[in-house]
Amino acid sequence: MTKYALTILILLYLGMLFLIAYYVEKKYKKAASSSPLVYVLGLATYCSAWTYYGSIGMATTQGINFLTIYIGPVIAVPLWIVTLRKIISISKSNNISSIADFIALRYGNSRSLGLLITSICTIAIIPYISLQLKAVSESFALVSNDNTSGEHLFQDSAFYLSLVIGMFTAFFGTRSSDATHNRTGMLFTVAVESVIKLVIFLAIGIYVTYFMYDGTTDIYEIAKSSIDLSNHFGINSLASGLNWSFMIVVSFMMIFLLPRQFHLTVVEYAQKSHLKHAIWGFPLYLLLFNIFVIFIAWAGRISLPENANPDYYTILLPLSDGNVTMATLVFFGGLSAAVSMIVISSLALSTMISNNVIIPYGILSRFGKDTSERNNEFIKNIRRGVILLLVLMAYTLFVSIRNDQSLFSLGLISFIIVAQLAPSFFIGMYWNRGTSLGAKVGIVGGYLVTVFTYIVPFIYSSVFNNNSIMEQGYFGWDILRPDNMLAVSDITATTTTFFWSIFVNTGLYLTLSVMVKGNYRERNYGEIYVNSGDYDALQESAYIWQGEAYFKDISELLIRFLGEEKAKKRIDHFRTKYNIHPDEKLADARFVNYSEKLLSSILGNVSAKKLIANVVNEKPLSLVDVLDVLEENKIAIATNKKLKKKSKELEELTDRLTEANIKLQELDRKKDTFLNTVAHELKTPVTSIGISSDVLLDEDMPQELRSRFLKNIQTDTDRLSSLIGNILDLEKLASGREKLNLSHLSLDHTLKKAIEGIRIIAQKKGINIQEEIDDNLHFKHDYTKFYQVFTNILSNALKFVKDNEGKITIRAKNLDNDIVIEFIDNGVGVDPVDLPFIFDKFYQSKNQDLKKPIGSGFGLAIVKTIVEMHGGQITASNGNHKGAVFTIKLTKYEKSTHY
Amino acid sequence: MKIRHQQKLVVLSLGLAFLFNIPLVLVFAKKWTLFGFPAFYVFTFLFWILSIVISYVVMSRHYD
Repeated sequence: MTKYALTILILLYLGMLFLIAYYVEKKYKKAASSSPLVYVLGLATYCSAWTYYGSIGMATTQGINFLTIYIGPVIAVPLWIVTLRKIISISKSNNISSIADFIALRYGNSRSLGLLITSICTIAIIPYISLQLKAVSESFALVSNDNTSGEHLFQDSAFYLSLVIGMFTAFFGTRSSDATHNRTGMLFTVAVESVIKLVIFLAIGIYVTYFMYDGTTDIYEIAKSSIDLSNHFGINSLASGLNWSFMIVVSFMMIFLLPRQFHLTVVEYAQKSHLKHAIWGFPLYLLLFNIFVIFIAWAGRISLPENANPDYYTILLPLSDGNVTMATLVFFGGLSAAVSMIVISSLALSTMISNNVIIPYGILSRFGKDTSERNNEFIKNIRRGVILLLVLMAYTLFVSIRNDQSLFSLGLISFIIVAQLAPSFFIGMYWNRGTSLGAKVGIVGGYLVTVFTYIVPFIYSSVFNNNSIMEQGYFGWDILRPDNMLAVSDITATTTTFFWSIFVNTGLYLTLSVMVKGNYRERNYGEIYVNSGDYDALQESAYIWQGEAYFKDISELLIRFLGEEKAKKRIDHFRTKYNIHPDEKLADARFVNYSEKLLSSILGNVSAKKLIANVVNEKPLSLVDVLDVLEENKIAIATNKKLKKKSKELEELTDRLTEANIKLQELDRKKDTFLNTVAHELKTPVTSIGISSDVLLDEDMPQELRSRFLKNIQTDTDRLSSLIGNILDLEKLASGREKLNLSHLSLDHTLKKAIEGIRIIAQKKGINIQEEIDDNLHFKHDYTKFYQVFTNILSNALKFVKDNEGKITIRAKNLDNDIVIEFIDNGVGVDPVDLPFIFDKFYQSKNQDLKKPIGSGFGLAIVKTIVEMHGGQITASNGNHKGAVFTIKLTKYEKSTHY
Repeated sequence: MKIRHQQKLVVLSLGLAFLFNIPLVLVFAKKWTLFGFPAFYVFTFLFWILSIVISYVVMSRHYD
């Protein structure tokens, strides 16, 4: 087939991919992006042209070792159920768009770490892309029988191939500026390519095994007799066992760390069913890819000349059989493998570069002015430029090492460099102490080791055709020979490099992390990654941030990048979710974090962080600040609790105090009244005594007047003494110090005695006393006190009835349970206004002049106290016609509290 | 998916890691062949297939 015909076929093939992508994007967008089959086939991008051609070359030269590239993933995939789910959950909640974002975020969204990882990945992936270009252009040469390549750039078909592939990728990979957005069409073409390469690889396997030969056993039998197959029967030395194991560890890491694998497994992950089928589907795909490898390798060795490149046995075998169609098909299988790898790798890498290098370091200040469409277009153009540049750099590398280096050793460089991300990636996910400094120094240290032990010798031998380091070691020192640096014979340079670089890398990472504490951000994210189970709880609210930001500033920023409608929708959503009032001007940490995440999906973490930092006026937080904030919070919460408790206690106390105060005021008022009355009561007789004494001092006073005044003095003195006696009595009774002296005398006896006591006065005044007293009123009482009670009531009655007309009736009835004694007079009666108060101390009617000729105001108070001490009641009322009625009611046989 | 079922896959992964590494892998070095496949490949592919089957069964039964 001529190279022009093949070129036309290539263009047709790429055009078909375009169409498929376009058609799917239009018609089956949803179905394609959610299909687990597409996801699993996408993962199969792992099988690049390196696998497609290289594993046969490797099986030919190294026997079983070609399996190591697949056994690592086969071991790793069941672990996905734990690790990948963790990675996915962290990535999805933070809009992670590349492995650089993922690791940089773990170490506090470190900008320099993001840059470092991006550089490491770029250095690693360019040779990998270059290897794909090499495979495509070499297979192109074989199929088209064109050996003129390399003379001049524009005559070199590899250059055009690279350019076409670069353009294809640049157009497809960047349809949306949102790097976390699933690129359905592109992913679908990758899945189609995975099917194409597998089917063709199986087809050539079957063709060689069953059409060119008579089945697997036939090939084995012929190979056994003609070539050495010992390296296909297992590992027979410890050294080769070590090589084998180290390679498995490397490929184990690659399935997580290769930027394109991270992109396909994590970024393109859309739903749970993806993981469900990937865990068994991906190993199955890898298995199918390996079944015929050894037979193709053996067939090639048997039937092709010694100098034929074993990498291309799949093309050379059908060509030797005269089957150009088969060879062409194989070429397209290889092209599929290469194109899908280049598409995904350069896409992942360009996202990484634009998010971690170009935008944050170069032209970030440009943003913030333009509209969202122009910004998006700009970001896309950056990515396109980067993709083209990457492919062209890969081409340049490929051209410069165009010699007999096998595909395998070229690909290994990529693997070993990317493996330097392993300590900070794997350990960082499960150990929260790991720091940014440790990660950076570890990666750089590990990388320098690979440069020393692998890359420099490789460049020396491949580019300068100088094998001195490979064969004799640096400066001719045998110990510095790449494959001798472990001082174990038969260990490959790859194993040596891998061992020393990971050893140095991990050592530096762990040592520095233990020695130097990370800042608050690193520790915050370390905590989030390690405990991603509690991820939701730690999100947003846990983010410690100190600074000042306005909703308006951040909103404007979001509008610039998301577009007005989308930004407004997101902001509204946020406000509704956290119940934030639209008038709230200050944005809190949650909103800052939320916006940072939104922007991350377009710009990557590092750029988003920087943009947000521009508008939020973030204060740098030291660890001390953070601890202070935490401590303050803790104390504040504790104090708040205490305060609440105290406040409740105080409230109760206040209530009680108010009550007590009201009582006290009442008592105070009563005391004032009391003192007032006492003073008044004392003043009257004292004044009278004073006047009388003055008069008596007058010598000329007639005897008659003198004795009258003396009599006055006597009366007043008696009154004073009785008043003071009353006060003392009442005080004694009220304070409860006075004990009742109970006797068994019947009450009617006491009553009659009291009546006897006043009868003489009554007779003098011409007042009629009537008695209607039942006999045998048995009631345990204090004789003296009850005598006083009756005397007081009777004296009162005497005071208020008119002389010669007055009539006092005393009734005492013996009822079933009670004894009721009534004192009824025909005096002026009690003013209804006064009725409720007459038993109060010193209560005297306002109409004193009329109603109260004499009295201390204590009498009724004493009466009431004594009656109540005996468990009885006393009431006052006005009679039917005129006059007052005092009623004492005593309960028989019932013990009073004072007994 | 319950932790218990996740652990089945973790154990599977650990098992494969031991099986495919030295020293256990040295046991695969036998001289016989099966349908032209040397013993080493027979062992490797067998465990490979076994892990696919186990993964498939665990995932289809317990993954929700």
